[in-house]
Formats: sequence, structure tokens, C-alpha cells
Amino acid sequence: MTGCNSDNVAAAAKLRSIFYPRSVALLGASDDPKRVGYNIFNSLTGGGFTGSIYPVHPRLQTVLGYRVYPSLAALPEQVDLAVIALNERATIAAIEECAAGGVRGAVCIAGGYRETNDAGSGLEAELLATARRCGVSFIGPNTLGFINNDNGLNTTFYPMQLPRGNVSFISQSGGMGLDFICRAVDAELGLNKWIGAGNRSDFEFADYLAFLGEDEGTGVIGLYLEGTEQAARMVRIAGNLAKPVVVYKAGRSGAADFAALTHTGSMAGSHSVYRDIFQQFGVYAVESMSELVTAVKALSLAPLPRGKRIGLMTHTAGPSIVAADVLLERGCVLPPLTPRTLAKVRELTGPNPPFALKNPLDVAGMGFMVDVYGQYLELLAADPNVDLVLAFFCHNTNPHWPFPSSELVRVRQQSGKPVVACYISRAAHLPAERAILEGGGVPLYAFPEEAAQAALALVWWAGRKSAMVKGSEGKEVTA
Amino acid sequence: MYAATLIRQFREKGERVVLEKEAKEILEAAGIPTTRCHVVDSIAQACRTAETIGFPVVLKLSSPQLLHKSEAGGVALNLGTPQEVAAAFARLAARGREHDPAARLLLQQMAPPGVELIAGTATDPHFGTVLMLGTGGIYAELLQDAVFRLPPLGSAEVGEMITALRGYPLLNGYRGSEKADMAALQDTLLRLSELVCGNPEIRELDINPLVVYPRGVLALDARLLLQ
Repeated sequence: MTGCNSDNVAAAAKLRSIFYPRSVALLGASDDPKRVGYNIFNSLTGGGFTGSIYPVHPRLQTVLGYRVYPSLAALPEQVDLAVIALNERATIAAIEECAAGGVRGAVCIAGGYRETNDAGSGLEAELLATARRCGVSFIGPNTLGFINNDNGLNTTFYPMQLPRGNVSFISQSGGMGLDFICRAVDAELGLNKWIGAGNRSDFEFADYLAFLGEDEGTGVIGLYLEGTEQAARMVRIAGNLAKPVVVYKAGRSGAADFAALTHTGSMAGSHSVYRDIFQQFGVYAVESMSELVTAVKALSLAPLPRGKRIGLMTHTAGPSIVAADVLLERGCVLPPLTPRTLAKVRELTGPNPPFALKNPLDVAGMGFMVDVYGQYLELLAADPNVDLVLAFFCHNTNPHWPFPSSELVRVRQQSGKPVVACYISRAAHLPAERAILEGGGVPLYAFPEEAAQAALALVWWAGRKSAMVKGSEGKEVTA
Repeated sequence: MYAATLIRQFREKGERVVLEKEAKEILEAAGIPTTRCHVVDSIAQACRTAETIGFPVVLKLSSPQLLHKSEAGGVALNLGTPQEVAAAFARLAARGREHDPAARLLLQQMAPPGVELIAGTATDPHFGTVLMLGTGGIYAELLQDAVFRLPPLGSAEVGEMITALRGYPLLNGYRGSEKADMAALQDTLLRLSELVCGNPEIRELDINPLVVYPRGVLALDARLLLQ
């Protein structure tokens, strides 16, 4: 696969210039709020992008107070990126106009290409051939475009403000890409780049992964995938990145039956083939968008555990039992606490402790007192058998029993071990606690299953990283 | 490479389906042990061949019209005497005439029982050539236990492919049985990986069953489909 490396580097460089232009033109700007061209311009100007932004339209005078130019050629400077919000035919002509004006990068928003019919496929081939001949690279077509939350550039027709962070996301679908964004915003997940891959004429998932792999602002990569004919190249690149790649692959129901899998050549990109090959290349496959957001948040915020031994801290048994189901099913361990830890717990509790001294450490009613909760948590995190702590708290609106957020952050920092929080609470109470916890490197979840999934993702990536280090030391060449 | 030469010869003849006898010759050339097939044209020749390779033997009907031999009554297992060989020959030859006048009869050694797996490769529309290993035997379709990998594979990867099978305990001395020869199975998968990577014209390759013994493996039936 070494032959692909220079292609990957070239594609990553082209994408870098598309995501970090000095100036942008919008072809197909509109002053009608009901039109896409208006909403894209609203996004472009409302996201904090500091470069020049030029609306282009043959007849309009102004849009949102900006002077409109009749053509690319009429702009006062050469721009780096054209967002093309024209119909599928006019988009092809616009690519020629870009080339003539020295514009090397574009986003083609329009649909009506190979996702429709044979005529659309022909049109898409023409679009690609034109762009390749002219030396213009483009994202799409049939896409929302992209959001670079690092420089405030939003080319989608969804104007929005997103929390900043190091998570980047690639989506095969506009709708599921928005689903991710809505969940991410509600969970206060810090985003860096969002990419609607659209029909992937010019850039494939493999190219986007190569780009994000090199991108300084990106630490964690999420991917929503339906399927691609370039799956082999995609997994080889994903598996070589030094960043975690979390994939939600849809299309389970399309899985071929066993007879088809084993006896015929009609394996239609089946789900089990994807699942197995993701595992082979160290790509983390999740089963829902919710689990994807859960996993990338943990990977974005928390330090990595040294192993898969989980300490559970709670003051009510149920949530720890639910979490243990998820953890044990997927290979984690609930280790016994050391005699030294147990002695300290006994010392802290006094004679005849009203709870069982074990892991999960369920301190019952004593857990409502913040300082007491913190002391137990500290003992649990200090236990050498414990690699990661999962802490549960059931909120009561009595102000004397507040959330133990500051204790969780203190223990996380003192122990150097990852702490994952699960607060059983009305959603309205969580944002204030989230700010404290996540600012201190403790990801917060509202459901025990999610908190367990977060721990699984951290354990997975820790194991994968150490395997990659070992692999590069005494590497047996396999590919 | 000898396997490549055999495959090229087939392609030059314009044939896409490689039946058991020739498929096993390709596997043997790639270093994968099989129960070799002998074409027999008469009862007398069948009995002579059986004496030579040793009883018990298996007689199979081979025809491109008859890809699922067992279901079509085209396989006679565990023939222990010349009388049994003769009777089976007559029965299968008659069945062959019903389906395909050009059908051949193949005689091979009856292999002892072991752990039955399915191994092979297929062309996935998204990944291209993929390697498959599954739990075989009569419950294969019920268990639906298969693992897929993208070749080329290294020895660590084939080891991991084997342990990823749900049926792996069957290979690892289940209920006091002798452990299967893991090294030979790994070697077979590595050779399969090499075979398909070196011969991209292989569209599909089925070994069913691949039997794993405490010492060694044997491909008891095989078929190839070329591009």
C-alpha cells in the first residue's frame, strides 16, 4: 500500500487549503431567507471567520449588508475557496469559472448527481472530469459542506455556534451529520472539524481521515458510515493513525445471510465483514450515534487508563450493576480491592460498617455527604488494582446534598487516573456540573450504560496505543 | 509459481468454475494438504484405485451442473469394500447421466473425523478480496460463525483470526479432546492469504470442509471461481 502514501499526503494538503482559506466566495448568494444561498451566507459571516467573504450573484446588489459581486472575475482579490450553491449543471460551469479565477478549492452543495439516476451519474462524472482537468479540488457534491470550528468557517446552510474542542467528525449523510451535531451540542462536546462527505467524487473517506490524522486541532475522529467501495484503503489509513477513530456503521439489516456469505460472491459489503475488518485494523465500531458521542467525548477529555480494571464508586447499587453488565460483557474486569484499601475504608467508616467492603464500593447513605464521598473515592482511585474509576451519584434537590463534582475533579487530578462520572439527575441540573467536571477532565454522563461505554472506549484506546508502540518496536511486517 | 500456472491454464481455456479435482491441485501447489481426487471411468478402475489408495474411500460426482453434490445425492462416503465401491459407482453414474452426461466420478481417500471448519476467500464489493474462516460441520448454517479479514495477513493476524471464532474452543481441546494443530491451521491461512493476493483472478475460493487434526489439516472439498 506504499503506493498510496503520496496520494494521501497530496489529498491531505488539498483539504488543508480548503479548510484554511484566506478568503471565500459564495457562488449563488441570495437575499431571500427561504433560500439555501442566503443561509450559507449567514453561516459564513456568522461563525467568526476572519478572512474576506464575498457573495457572488449576477444581479443582486447586497446580501446581509455585504456588497455582492457579479462574478468571480469581478472580485477585488483572488480567493482560495468557492462555496458553490448553484444547481447541478451550473455547478460544473462554476468549476471552470473557479479555475479561470485561480480558485483551487470548492464545495459543491447541489444534489442531482449519482445519488439520483444514470443521468445524474453522467453529470457527476462530468463534474469530476472538469474539476480534474482544471486542477480544482472539491468537497461533495450533494453535501452540506463543512464546518471548521478552528477558524470559524461554516459552509453549511445551518448557521450555528458549536463548542470548541478536539473532536472532528466525518459524515456520509447530512442528516446523521446533523444528528451528531445536535447530540454534541447538547452534551457540550468540543468540536474541531465537521465534514459532510456527500457523494465523495473527489475526496474519499480515506482522504478525509488522512487529513484529520495530520490536523493539529484534531485529537479524536468520529465517522458515520453507510458504506464505500474504497473500504480497504479507508481501514488501512484509519488503522495507521495515531488518533482514535470511532465509527458508527449503519446498515445492519442489509447483512447477507450466512449462505450468501460463505458460498457465493454476492456479499454486498456486508455488516459482518465491516465489523470484522474494523477490528482487524483497530477501528472502534459502535452501535449507535449515542455511543459514538459518548466514546469520542471520553477520548477527548479523559487521560488513558493503564489497563481494563474498573473501580465502581456508588451510593446506590442499581447503576453499578447496570454498568457492570456492559463492562464485563466487553472484557473489562472489576478487580478486588487490596487489603490495604479495605483497611483504610474500614478505618474511615468506623466499626460495623453499614455496607459491604468491596468493588463496587457502595457507601450507601454516607455517599450523600460530599466530603465523605470524596474520601471514599480517593481510596478507591488510589488502589493499585484499579485503572479507571466510574463514579455514580444520584442527585437530590436538597441543597445539603450537592453534587460531588469538585471531589471527582480533585481525585482525578491527584490520582492521575481517569474518572468517569454518571449523575442520575434531571437534565436541567447537569450543565453547571458538566462545566466543573469536564473542565477538570472528568467526562459526565446521565446514564450508567453510557458511562460504561465511555470507560470501554478509554480502555480500548489505551490497549490499542500500547499495541501500536509494541508493534513499531519489534514489528512484524504484515501489510 | 505453480498455483499461478494452473490458474492461468484455466483462464486460457476460458473456464470460470474450477471443480474439486483441479481446485485441490491448485491448493496442493500452494502448499495446502488435500485428499487428492482420482478420476475413475469404470467400476473396475474404481476398485483398483481404491485398493491402491486404501479403504475406506469416498466417491463423488463432479459436474459444473452439480455444485451442491451432497444435497443432490452425488456423494458416497465411507466405502469399505470393492462391493460397496461398485454399488456406489453404479448409483452415482446413473445420477450423473440424469444431470450432466459429461459428469466425472472422483475417488478419494475417506479422511478420519476432526474439527470441521470452512475456509475461503470472496470478493466483497466494498473491500475487494477478503479471507473467511468459519465453523463447519452439519450445524454451520445454524451457528453462522464466521470471521472475515482483509489480506495480506501476518502470522499474528491469522492467530487472532482463529481465536476470534466463537467455535474456537472446539479447536482448543474441548471436553477433553486432543487439541487441534494450530500451527498447521495458521500455516494454511497464511498460504491462502498468499494464494489470493498473488492471484487476483481468484474471485471466490471455498474449502468446505477444512478438517483440522491434532497433527495437520486436510482440505476435503474445494472449489474456485475465477474472474
